[in-house]
Amino acid sequence: MYLLYLSIGLLVGVLVGFMGVGGGVILIPAMVYILRMDQHMAQGTSLFMQLPPLGLGALLMYRKKGQVDLKEGVICALGILAGGYFGSKMAIGISSRDLREMFGLFMIVAAVLLWHKPKPRESRGRQNEFTRAASLNPRGG
Amino acid sequence: MNSHVRRLLILVVARIVGVASGLFGVGGGTLLVPLLVLVLGFDQHVAQGTSLVALVPPTGLLAFLNYASAGKVNWTVGLWIMPGVFFGAMAGAHFAEELSSRILRRAVAVLLLAIGIWEASTALRK
Repeated sequence: MYLLYLSIGLLVGVLVGFMGVGGGVILIPAMVYILRMDQHMAQGTSLFMQLPPLGLGALLMYRKKGQVDLKEGVICALGILAGGYFGSKMAIGISSRDLREMFGLFMIVAAVLLWHKPKPRESRGRQNEFTRAASLNPRGG
Repeated sequence: MNSHVRRLLILVVARIVGVASGLFGVGGGTLLVPLLVLVLGFDQHVAQGTSLVALVPPTGLLAFLNYASAGKVNWTVGLWIMPGVFFGAMAGAHFAEELSSRILRRAVAVLLLAIGIWEASTALRK
């Protein structure tokens, strides 16, 4: 059984590094379908696993290529911390089944958002400032 | 957009991401990556790298405490899955490097869409 947990972790990890996400998106379905956990338990366990910085190794690899905006990442962390408090309060009052439907819809919305790349709204100079780090990587952009 | 407005906008975006993070038990990267690209004009690789920075501090801590006090955490499974995620993530990051920003963005979108449809449809069938 522990071997199963380890291999789920490894598989999820590959996707974490590939997608630049914390892992919950993949971990939760894996725990619900493979380990037969209920949705709330899977979400709580997912948050538990994300307490230590599991993406740190992956982050260092992005960093080496200059594909990280450190300051803006930290600002994001602050907002997420506060928002997470309210979101979890909401989740605990929702039934496991409804929560799973909403989780699925949430991912579909995220996918649709991601598919469309908007035309840059910023002036050229400003845009360059954001993407300067990326251009250090010959394959980026 | 001056830098103060931009920072405020980032904070608002992150706050929205945080609510989703607590609600769905995810780290927030799922929503943060598309929003960084769409709202703030990040390149895909930089958005993913920056998302990983935002997930280094335990941003889910408050949400986690709420789940833990409701008894909704499986500690054993959690501890055993962790090491795999750490090492797997480094392999995944290496793989992402090989793709262009555009292909990477689409690949991530397709993965999310597939999992999302699977989740929603199986939940509806029960």
